[in-house]
Amino acid sequence: MSWGYTINRARDIDMDRNDMTISKLILEKIPSLQGCIACGACVATCSTGALTKYSLRKVHTLVRRGEYSGLLDELNKCMLCGKCQLVCPRGINTRAVISLIKRELGDHR
Amino acid sequence: MNKEVIIIGGGVAGMQCAISLAEMGVKPTIIEKSDKLGGKLNDWYKLFPTFTSASEVLNPLKDMINELGVDVKLSSEVTKLEPKSVTLADGTTMSADAIVICSGFEVFDARLKEEYGYKIYDNVITSVDLERMFCEGSVQNLDKNSPSRIAILHCVGSRDEKVCQTHCSRVCCVAGVKQAIELKELYPKSEIFNFYMDIRMFGCGYEELYKEAQIKHNIHFVRGRISEAAQTIDSKIQIKSEDTLIGRPLKMTVDLLVLMVGMSAGKSNNSFATTDGINLNTSGFISPKNIFTECVSSDVDSIFYAGTVTAPKNIGESITEGVAAAHKVAKFIKL
Amino acid sequence: MNFYYDHFIIPFIIGVAILFSIVLYKYVRWITRLPKRDKLLIRKNIFTRKTLSAIQEVILESLLHRKIFRVNPLLGYMHMSLAFGWFLLIIVGSFEAAVHLKGEFLPPHAHVFYKFFAPKIIHTESGTTWEFIMDFLLLFVLIGVALAWGKRAYSRAMGIKKSTKHTRADRIALSALWLIFPARLLAESFTSGVRGGSSFLTGSIGNFMVDLLGWNTMVAIAPYTWWLYSTVLAIFFIFMPFSRYMHIFTEIPLIFLRKYGLKSSDNKQKSFDHFQIEACSRCGICIDPCQLQSAAGIDNVQSTYFLRDRRYNKLTESVTNNCLMCGRCQVKCPVGIDLNTLRLNSRHSFVSTSKADADNRYSYLNGVDLSTGSGRVGYFAGCMTSLSPKILNAMDKIFAAAKEDIWYADKNGGICCGRPLKLSGEIEAAQKMIDLNTALFEKHKITTLVTSCPICLKVFKEDYRLNGVEILHHSEYISRLIKEGRIEVSKSDLSYTYHDPCELGRGSGVYEQPRDVISAIGNLVEMEHNRESALCCGSSLANLEIRDDQQLKIASQLGEEFKQCNADSMITSCPLCKKSISRVANGKVEDICEIVANSLK
Repeated sequence: MSWGYTINRARDIDMDRNDMTISKLILEKIPSLQGCIACGACVATCSTGALTKYSLRKVHTLVRRGEYSGLLDELNKCMLCGKCQLVCPRGINTRAVISLIKRELGDHR
Repeated sequence: MNKEVIIIGGGVAGMQCAISLAEMGVKPTIIEKSDKLGGKLNDWYKLFPTFTSASEVLNPLKDMINELGVDVKLSSEVTKLEPKSVTLADGTTMSADAIVICSGFEVFDARLKEEYGYKIYDNVITSVDLERMFCEGSVQNLDKNSPSRIAILHCVGSRDEKVCQTHCSRVCCVAGVKQAIELKELYPKSEIFNFYMDIRMFGCGYEELYKEAQIKHNIHFVRGRISEAAQTIDSKIQIKSEDTLIGRPLKMTVDLLVLMVGMSAGKSNNSFATTDGINLNTSGFISPKNIFTECVSSDVDSIFYAGTVTAPKNIGESITEGVAAAHKVAKFIKL
Repeated sequence: MNFYYDHFIIPFIIGVAILFSIVLYKYVRWITRLPKRDKLLIRKNIFTRKTLSAIQEVILESLLHRKIFRVNPLLGYMHMSLAFGWFLLIIVGSFEAAVHLKGEFLPPHAHVFYKFFAPKIIHTESGTTWEFIMDFLLLFVLIGVALAWGKRAYSRAMGIKKSTKHTRADRIALSALWLIFPARLLAESFTSGVRGGSSFLTGSIGNFMVDLLGWNTMVAIAPYTWWLYSTVLAIFFIFMPFSRYMHIFTEIPLIFLRKYGLKSSDNKQKSFDHFQIEACSRCGICIDPCQLQSAAGIDNVQSTYFLRDRRYNKLTESVTNNCLMCGRCQVKCPVGIDLNTLRLNSRHSFVSTSKADADNRYSYLNGVDLSTGSGRVGYFAGCMTSLSPKILNAMDKIFAAAKEDIWYADKNGGICCGRPLKLSGEIEAAQKMIDLNTALFEKHKITTLVTSCPICLKVFKEDYRLNGVEILHHSEYISRLIKEGRIEVSKSDLSYTYHDPCELGRGSGVYEQPRDVISAIGNLVEMEHNRESALCCGSSLANLEIRDDQQLKIASQLGEEFKQCNADSMITSCPLCKKSISRVANGKVEDICEIVANSLK
């Protein structure tokens, strides 16, 4: 139902309210993810990123801020080809990260 | 008092150490594996952040070595190191009361990052190649009268676990900014893009140089690591990166791609480390006894270090360590 | 009528009854739950030569343990003496009992406790011979038991560096098994001592005991030894269906079903899987070849543990995913279990993507065609290859030299082959990639598909339905170009060693062509581990758990072998292997197509 006006949702990442449970769990399982330096090489080489807005760097940063909505759909575009893993200067197992986030956000049983 | 001190390596650190010792009355011997003194500085054009020509630093050092009559053995490589002696490649053994290791670093071999196409594509060069070209007065494929696009990629062979180089080489950030300015001055019509992960301007005058590059020379800084380069039909280089500040992949065709190669541990470090008391850190540099208070000492009383053998350093720091090591040596041999 | 009854046989009878009812229940359940197709296969093949060949395999493997002999003769003897020895004890024992216990009805336990029930010592010549044979067989088995004890203490002597960690049921069954034959020796010796007779083993021990303990004591103790023998047998039988020893029977139906063409499937856990899973004896032969264990110290994910966890419903996603699927264990498995397929369908069971989900997820790929060129020969470089420009350049040079007109499927990026998704258990998603690429190949009417990536090759060969399209890895393609004289290469005296990528070698069976190509260009020096036993580079996309430092350690094993064989350069034929070996190698690491391009005449 439209009343002719909308209430703008706050744009800020509200770290006081965001639920960090899943975020913490993911970092506990793959601590190397904490070593991301946001260089963007994963996005640069990404086959999916060339065709869609999918960005692993963004998705995982959002996870780390407790902002989960819409992320599963983003990650599901990934073809898991592994190029990002090959270019990551911090040696993060990016494919494991993708699978884990998908699992924690509900794709896996 | 006929004390013998051997200095392994005749780069800036080794030369300065020899000079300081000679000034204190010791006659040290420099063992240099190449055929001239000066190390890698011989191939450098100008130094950051002041654009001082490398020869302005190198020549006075070389003159002092001559003046003080320091014994220099060129084209000699140390194959075996012991606390009080070294063995050279020709089999001769030299004994000494103290040894200072100033064997420096290796330039990272950019061919290991195959995806950047070094030695595969013509127009991918390294920062070392670029210094040489500056010395020669012109850069390949660039024309002073027509606009060209140049990309400079930072952190090639630094901060990269995929090539087992976990350390930051420190000086490449400012060197990349320096080279960008030099390119811009040589080719004013060119557009220059520095691709970086972090810009680390640690030294005096470095941040100012960075700002000068931005304001005065309009060098573009793109925050993102290039993942791969490809050659186009007309021999240009197409690079892929993410503009991480915008969050979108970025593609760009450039006339020249310059790889800011990092400082890797010296090749001889491994053989030095077979001596008890000499240990390597994860990136293969030699660990000094204590990085705060004993940064030019080893766990072997008679062995000392100066310069980039222990970590990436700039010219000034290397020279300072030369002086410091000479001081420690003098105290050890009870001058 | 003689029932040959004594109270001590009760534990044995109970044990046997429990054992056979459980085993029978399991088999009936598994067989009835087989899908229709599998049942049809059984019906179709049961009365063919396949049954005979299955019988032959049962004798060679389940009894003689031929494959374990190949791993290590001592280990083979241990397994053979226990299995074949026990089997002979039963068969020969039954005959002996049938000959001498002349009852019209002989209950099955009569031969097991023959010495006890034999009315008197048969001093005929044939009787002595029987006793000699039985003593000899018992000794044969006892040596196996002694070796098993020895293996616990020092497994390296039998070619096993690390042996399996066992469950509690396994330990109980194992202890019982180790006691069975010593208990039998004890019981038979005591009875021989009391009654006299028997052959070199039980007879001599019996006489010695009489001298030692005195006849009266022997008479008093003898019945208890039979109780002990019966009890340990019972314990073993009761624990058997719940422990690793379930393999003793299960391997037999597995061999038959396999001969009839039953297979496990990548994307569906089937009833047939039970036969494979419970046929695992947890012998531990799969542990040593596993580089996760030898290089990275990961010791709870090997096939034996994976199958164990899956059997007892304790499988975690983490154990399932922590495997390179390099196949090194599978080539060594003496039971021939299809380990990679079982692991794949376990992975699939953790994922819940449906076909509709997959369509939705990858709708952005519909109609994507980034290909260039118009040749009938398609070149699918593969995602990883795009990060290795030397391979791309070399292939271009080779195509030009062979004057081949090429359609480039993924020069400007493209759709992944689907294998990485499949290896992650996302089989429906992988199918979407397969459908999209198949449509592309059909649209451009290619007749040959060349790929530089063994990962792509495997999925093209196994999961794509490309009618009339020949699928080749570039090493096969180059080998053919040289043979047909379409390209000419010059030979140098450089020495090369060759690393078999897992997906190309063990995965697709391509061993010879790369070696032919290398031999045409220089001298081939083999590394210590080559062909089926080649080491994995550690970067396999199949492992979704491993850390970078662990991958590096695995690659280092290859770096070490490279160093030892003193070759000028290491050749591989997978862009991923090349990258990971380059990290640790002391010398040059090149793809096979690079050396070909460099030596073109």
